[in-house]
Amino acid sequence: MDEKQAKEEIQLIKTMLDKTKKATAESGTLFIVWSVLIAVALVGNSILAFLKMYDWEWVNWIVVTVAGWVYSVIYGIRRERLEPVRTYIQAAARHLYFSCGTAFLLVGIVFPVLKVYSYEAIPILIAAVSGVLFFVMGGIYEWPLLKWAAALWWAGAIGMSFLKSDGVRLLLFTILFIVAFLVPSFILRAKYRQVRAPQ
Amino acid sequence: MTADKFEPLDPVIHSQVRLAVLSILLTAHRADFSYLKQETGTTDGNLSTHLAKLEEAGYIKVKKTFQGKKPLTTCSLTEKGRTAFVRYVKALESYIPQGRE
Repeated sequence: MDEKQAKEEIQLIKTMLDKTKKATAESGTLFIVWSVLIAVALVGNSILAFLKMYDWEWVNWIVVTVAGWVYSVIYGIRRERLEPVRTYIQAAARHLYFSCGTAFLLVGIVFPVLKVYSYEAIPILIAAVSGVLFFVMGGIYEWPLLKWAAALWWAGAIGMSFLKSDGVRLLLFTILFIVAFLVPSFILRAKYRQVRAPQ
Repeated sequence: MTADKFEPLDPVIHSQVRLAVLSILLTAHRADFSYLKQETGTTDGNLSTHLAKLEEAGYIKVKKTFQGKKPLTTCSLTEKGRTAFVRYVKALESYIPQGRE
């Protein structure tokens, strides 16, 4: 072994680490699916509020949440079975998605239905949990933009807690959703396509 | 640099294919046979031989299951393998004069 060979071996290690990282980049598929579902639910919610069918708003959110969960579980099982390689980062991300998904379900539906707190607190708590989701994701995928999205969610959660009007709170939540969820989701998808594109 | 400053290289890892396999498994929780074959650019038989050597040394764990009707071989790094890999990289660094890499 000489210096040249040692450098070649270190280069081989770096190449393999990069390849594995590329093979396991976050596709953003789940984020896109949830984006579409939440957008549908927000539009549905606005229509139901306009029609003064307030009791149906719960049904709207429950249907969307159940649909999202069913899709997420099937997608997760499929990827787990079909992926030729699974990294520790992916394992951490899946645990994060599952824990935040459970938190969304609890703070968005279960606790308000059990009357632990008023429905007015839902968007505030959803925003706080979204902040956790994006901040940790930003850390594990080393992508600062996601941490900024997290900061926006947390700032929005504080902002919404001062608002009295349901309509204005929903409007702020929709803006947050577009800026700090929809936009990063599509950028994540674009990055994934770029990383996975043949060199 | 004199020869006595060079760290000895682990002969189990000192092969292009085995080093590549361990590098992949260092970040991968698990990787299947087809992925390792594709990334190392080797043949089925050659890869099997290298995996057997790594498994024999206790550096990797090889699990054989079925995906539907197709056999599926997955590999993961053991703690012993991780330690050996880190030691190997440190040994490699001893061959590169400080400040030139």
